[in-house]
Amino acid sequence: MNGLESVLLFSLVVTPFLGAAVLAFFPADNHKLIHWYTRIIAASGLAIAAYLFITFDTGDSLNKYIVDFDWLPSLGIRFTLGLSGITVPLVLLNAIIFFGGVLISWNVDHRPKDFFVWLMLLVAGVYGVFASRDLFFLFFFYELAVVPMYLLVGVWGSSTDFGTFLRTKEYGAMKVMLVLVAGSVLVWIAILAMWVEAREITGIADFGMAGLSQVEFSEGFQKTYYPFLMIGFGILAGLWPFHTWSPDGHVAAPTAVSMLHAGVLMKLGAFGILAVGMVLLPDGARFWAPLLIGLGTVNVIYGAISAMGQKDLKYIIGYSSVSHMGYVLMGLGALDTLAVDGAVLQMFSHGIMTALFFAMVGVIYQRTHIRDITILAGLGKKMGITGVFLAVAGLTSLGLPGFSSFVAEIMIFIGTYRTYPVVGVLAVVGAAITAVYILRMLGAVFFGPIDENKWKDLTDANKTETGVAALLTGFLLLWGLYPFRIVEIIDSGVVPIMERLGS
Amino acid sequence: MMEWAWLIPAMPAIAFFFLATAGRCLPNWSAIAATGTMAVAFIVFWFVLADWFSMSALPEVKAFGFSFDWIKAGGSTFTWGMVIDPISLVMVGLVTAAALGIQIYTWSYMSHEPRFTWFFAVHSLFAAAMLALVLADNLLLLYIAWELVGICSYLLIGFFYDRRPAAEAAKKAFITTRIGDVGLLIGILLLFAKTGTFELSAIFTMVENGGISETVITAAAVLLFLGAIGKSAQFPLHVWLPDAMEGPTPVSALVHSATMVVAGVYLVARMFPFYEHSESAALMVTLIGAFTAVGAAAIALVVTDIKRILAYSTLTDLGFMLFALGAGGLTAGMFHLLIHGFSKAILFLGAGSISHGSGQTDIRQMGGLWRKMPITAVIFGIGALSLGGVPPFGGFFSKDEVITAVFDGRGWGFMAIALLIGFMKALYMGRVFFAVFLGKLKPENEHAHESSMVMLAPMLVFALLALFGGFLALSYTDGYQGFGYFVFEGTHQHPFHLNKGIAIGSIALAVSGFILAWMAYVQGSLKTEPIIKRFSGVHRVLINKYYVDEVYQWVIDKVVLVFGRFIAFFDRAFINDIGINGTGSIVTTTGRFMRYVQSGKLYTYAMGMIVGFLGLALAWWVS
Repeated sequence: MNGLESVLLFSLVVTPFLGAAVLAFFPADNHKLIHWYTRIIAASGLAIAAYLFITFDTGDSLNKYIVDFDWLPSLGIRFTLGLSGITVPLVLLNAIIFFGGVLISWNVDHRPKDFFVWLMLLVAGVYGVFASRDLFFLFFFYELAVVPMYLLVGVWGSSTDFGTFLRTKEYGAMKVMLVLVAGSVLVWIAILAMWVEAREITGIADFGMAGLSQVEFSEGFQKTYYPFLMIGFGILAGLWPFHTWSPDGHVAAPTAVSMLHAGVLMKLGAFGILAVGMVLLPDGARFWAPLLIGLGTVNVIYGAISAMGQKDLKYIIGYSSVSHMGYVLMGLGALDTLAVDGAVLQMFSHGIMTALFFAMVGVIYQRTHIRDITILAGLGKKMGITGVFLAVAGLTSLGLPGFSSFVAEIMIFIGTYRTYPVVGVLAVVGAAITAVYILRMLGAVFFGPIDENKWKDLTDANKTETGVAALLTGFLLLWGLYPFRIVEIIDSGVVPIMERLGS
Repeated sequence: MMEWAWLIPAMPAIAFFFLATAGRCLPNWSAIAATGTMAVAFIVFWFVLADWFSMSALPEVKAFGFSFDWIKAGGSTFTWGMVIDPISLVMVGLVTAAALGIQIYTWSYMSHEPRFTWFFAVHSLFAAAMLALVLADNLLLLYIAWELVGICSYLLIGFFYDRRPAAEAAKKAFITTRIGDVGLLIGILLLFAKTGTFELSAIFTMVENGGISETVITAAAVLLFLGAIGKSAQFPLHVWLPDAMEGPTPVSALVHSATMVVAGVYLVARMFPFYEHSESAALMVTLIGAFTAVGAAAIALVVTDIKRILAYSTLTDLGFMLFALGAGGLTAGMFHLLIHGFSKAILFLGAGSISHGSGQTDIRQMGGLWRKMPITAVIFGIGALSLGGVPPFGGFFSKDEVITAVFDGRGWGFMAIALLIGFMKALYMGRVFFAVFLGKLKPENEHAHESSMVMLAPMLVFALLALFGGFLALSYTDGYQGFGYFVFEGTHQHPFHLNKGIAIGSIALAVSGFILAWMAYVQGSLKTEPIIKRFSGVHRVLINKYYVDEVYQWVIDKVVLVFGRFIAFFDRAFINDIGINGTGSIVTTTGRFMRYVQSGKLYTYAMGMIVGFLGLALAWWVS
């Protein structure tokens, strides 16, 4: 551990852990203290992540701020942290969403201590996955991020009766947990296979990604084991047809958990495909790229059409996440530097956007207890601020220039069009379908005449909620108008990977 | 001054950010901030124009560039830059003048509107985006600005968002144009894939020296034109524009007649080298333009809402411009765009003044209003005569240019269509003017009053432009040898020329159009009822806008949304309930059966061993 940045990175990952451990000993009924304590933890994380982002030097960016400890030498397990141009923005994303999620949870009064303990463990897991340079710990953190979801959804979630079918919070929690664990089993198989194969080739036991990336795995091995990583991580990224955990999970999850779930958890999957799959098994990635881009295209179109057929706000946004993660997978599958840059930026941008979506839907649901867009109407008259921010998220989602998703999507479009023209065309069509369901949703919920009697006491977003929305909107605008810096950082992390892939 | 040209789009953009963030706290400043910045942009435009004329370099070198890096990734650099050349100067002049005048008009027109600040904020954003669109030197920035004007149009149409029709019209406008934008974006991606750049000048160089194959040029030209079809509301994506009249009238004047809707025409003019190199794409432009113009003009003759009449006349004029461009008449199309901008702006502002003063929007409820609002009547009359194509009004010159260009480029047959469109334009312009202002004043309109000077002043300025703008076509000095020479600077000059035969024919048709309208709506010697009765089927088809909206609505309701619901159902019932839950139940069911295997009872295990042993023995014996 040398240099201030390494210390900061280490404390960034460790703080939520220790924070959760300390919080466990807090008095359970002092809600105010618990909320403020968590806010301070989240804010300190945001400050560190912002500092690391701002001071990031794009020259030689693959392995930065290394923290390295021996852990179990006989198996080649080391506790190694480090950041690259790809992970710096994602760490910042996690910090932003965590901070926003904690603030938006001001109204959690059912066992807030336990809620925040699990939330912090989830966040710690996500930081750890992004920062780990060792596959053993990457997997450990990956599991750590998944398990709290079960309790957060199962205990603090909500059940919804849709008339023809019922979605209970227990069902949602169980499904999220089981599907994600199924995905991680595939990932674990591939990790073990790489470890064994690498030891056969080099004679050294090593879980370190730096070491494994030097190993020349045979083409057959790569072709066999890359799908394990692609599908395993892909499940977390909402890869079709393993995506249904995501919308159902959202419907059951409380607001802050939905924000983290769509905002960062789904990014872990896409990040894994890129940083583990494509880096360690480049030949496999090249061989299976057409499948990835094909499924990504299905995600985009299928997700968008499904969203068009939904009536529940959370389902609409849940399926829109499936559709937008399709752009990420499509960008990764194109194996084109510009498209992969776009995919990483889309991870960031979609994370912020979808967090804003769920924050605002949470505001609406908390006040009206309705999420059905055929019943809600004309809320703009009473909930102007909420409407503006939901519209910001919506317009970002349909790719309006000025917001960061446009930058990401145009890079993905260019990259995919020049490698697979048909996919590029379908990607553009998907963006047009997005406009249909987004404008339909905004029009149904906020426009038109309002029922004055029914919504007499309806209040708009309060100061905290407005603040969260403004923070998220600020990031969308910042990198929508001036993306130069963030794209420069991402590009510095993507280019070495693409050079290895030989394209 | 040229290096300060970036101020032109930047000024209204600053106004937008100021109003969107701080506007709530300073409501009284909104009009001042928006109009003040717009005025600065307008003044900068004049300095830039003066600079342009004072530059002595060759026309080809004169185009002024300015750019900064926006994204640098994957070995490519994307820049934001501006190009200042005659086409962009014409557009900047039109947009800044129209936006400034209409903002002043809005002070009075919208004064009692509680969301005054929001209106000026979006208005400023629109102006900024529109100016960026016409100044963009690369396709990426053009597309960005193109989408931004689209969203401003959405927000402005839906300004009265608590009225369901306004909300629906806004949605329809955005989605319909978005369909065209799919084509535009794919065209841009295609060009990037083939040329590796978004820069217009680089792309045009490749087009000129054969760096791009003929097929790609045609494909790109057609795809880009799809964007133009959406934005400029041409058939079959024209349906949004008439509905867009749900927006406030100043919006209809600025966004949906004078500026934004001509973006499609501007795009074709900007990408003109593509249409010069692709005969089939140019023919498509001509045919769609002519078809839309004739079809919309016929509807304009029968609808009775004053703003809808103007909306269909806008469709006609946009089609007319594209008709000219497709026939190779770049200068004619651009000239008609300019004159139409001012003429149509005064018609819309006049319509706003009429409904502001009388509360009526249906021309059947009007009549004789000149007694109550004489200034509006004169100004509206100038606009109607100009677009009706009567000399010496501006519209005559531009219409004649178009007809001449069509004759030169496409021959007799298309010229006849152009003349027919000219006649219909005169007929519906005469109809709306006579029905509204002449004839008897209805008793319910006794309270009607003239609008305030704040509203009339900008209308008067535009009226002067519509009145004398036509003379821009003529040559005066060596520095300015007429509009045609200006736009086609240098090698391709195309000075104004009057084909006497065509001119006489078109004047005769225009005048007879107005006379027929006068006979029908003032003098009464021509009865309209018998004609409607005689052609009741045709009339019904026209009143129902050829049932295009009904067909689209049916497709959306019965195909698109049903398909969406089906996929949503499929996802839940099959992918989830069978695929995911099914896997789960297989595991639990297997577990339930396996429970019997692990029962812990010795005799079950012993039985298992015996059966297994017998099975193995049998297998060994058989083999």
